[in-house]
Amino acid sequence: MSKFDVVVIGSGPAGYVAAIRAAQLGLKTACVEKARNKSDKLALGGTCLNVGCIPSKALLDSSYKYHEAKDNFADHGIGTGDVTIDVPAMIKRKDAVVAQMIGGIGGLFQANGVTSIEGLGKVLAGKKVEVTAADGSTSILEAENIIIATGSIPVAIPPAPVDQDIIVDSTGALEFQSVPAKLGVIGAGVIGLELGSVWSRLGSEVVLLEALDTFLPIVDSQIAKEAAKVFKKQGLDIRLGARVTATNTAKGKVEVSYTHNDEEKTEIFDKLIVCVGRKPMSNGLLAPDCGVNLDERGFIFVDDHCKTDAAGVFAIGDVVRGPMLAHKGSEEGVMVVECIAGHKVTMNYDCIPSVIYTHPEIAGVGKTEEQLKAEGVPYKVGTFPFAAIGRAVAANDSTGMVKMLAHEETDRILGCHIIGASAADLVQQIVIAMEFGSSAEDIGLTVFGHPTLSEAVHEAALAVNGQAIHMPNRKKRK
Amino acid sequence: ADLKISPAARKMLDEKGIDAAAVTGTGKGGVITKEDVAAYKPKPA
Repeated sequence: MSKFDVVVIGSGPAGYVAAIRAAQLGLKTACVEKARNKSDKLALGGTCLNVGCIPSKALLDSSYKYHEAKDNFADHGIGTGDVTIDVPAMIKRKDAVVAQMIGGIGGLFQANGVTSIEGLGKVLAGKKVEVTAADGSTSILEAENIIIATGSIPVAIPPAPVDQDIIVDSTGALEFQSVPAKLGVIGAGVIGLELGSVWSRLGSEVVLLEALDTFLPIVDSQIAKEAAKVFKKQGLDIRLGARVTATNTAKGKVEVSYTHNDEEKTEIFDKLIVCVGRKPMSNGLLAPDCGVNLDERGFIFVDDHCKTDAAGVFAIGDVVRGPMLAHKGSEEGVMVVECIAGHKVTMNYDCIPSVIYTHPEIAGVGKTEEQLKAEGVPYKVGTFPFAAIGRAVAANDSTGMVKMLAHEETDRILGCHIIGASAADLVQQIVIAMEFGSSAEDIGLTVFGHPTLSEAVHEAALAVNGQAIHMPNRKKRK
Repeated sequence: ADLKISPAARKMLDEKGIDAAAVTGTGKGGVITKEDVAAYKPKPA
């Protein structure tokens, strides 16, 4: 029986980061992973790297370049002739990106001395992990500490069973070998909008069927409203309050039945993507007597430090409460191993940025205006449009705005929400500021390079106190 | 001592003539934030 200080189950962004950090801290570490990729090799990196963040961004970038060349280059006086897209070549490039990043994790494991073990991990009582190899043989690892990082899987819905051919989940939607003439997407959340954008840019007629009546309810409503306008203009047909009741695949197409505003409707698509959400991957993971408990939704029950109910057993990432984001899992991984190594660390769940990689991007951190209202927190708002930012206008990319929320009395920044080019990178400035307890005035008193997109962040911060320079301020000056 | 002070807190300290050393920083790593200065009340003599 092999003995380790730390056995990590799962090699996604939570698990592999935990394993590397644990090894850096001098702990003898193993990481158990079951997944194999298309070329039947051990696939480290989890959902994010194999079928999530990285491949979707590769396709978003490729498709955006195509869209720019086809539709926007003429604005600059650039003639291109006929712009074409070779979809199999685009998918191949995506696969190469994924392969390169997976290789990178393998290299990091080796460099840090993490033992990579292939197989399906199961938590047994007494801090033991049973590993079932592909051939069915089992072995037992003995661990001082176990870190469960088994991640999440797409939610399936009975009316639209995934066949990964006509009806696909997010994984299948990254593998289309041609542009579907008509594409249906069930769910207008982050994943639906990103995948819908990719194929819409390449020529698909895209319809998103969203059961909720509110568009992007987790996003600040002013930003969500702006986003809805922008996406509509881009050609995404987003239908809110549309509940799918049945699907029928025949002759390489799928007929989708749904109710919309109390009306029964049907629509025929060449492909249908089901992306209504993701659920924790905790099935078959726990021996009944291992002492780890699940909550009613299948998440592993943990405290603020990701400790489960069993001593020495931790759980991190998508399989526990909190936003299902790669960077959230990774930071939990770091926190857990630092605690195991005897350091005192806590994680700041209030400053986790979230991003939607459409174009324009949508990014946010902290509270939305709706949350502040609901909590009764007095606040001030500053907004600034990219249309008034020289750098954005020069880039021919001036859609969107920065919105900043600060406490009415203390001026402390409580949230920042951005729709616009590079929103993800811009919002990070405010994530850092919030970590240091900055006020809006702190940002206002900071020098921002000119001309840069970041100036929109600066101006929005100034606008919080009615002091924006490049825009008439609505509020009276102090 | 080299206290960590946010830009807006530094400005408020100057305006109010408060010695930064007298204020307890509650920001990350003990940074003195603007609200720390606003909340500061000098000890009665």
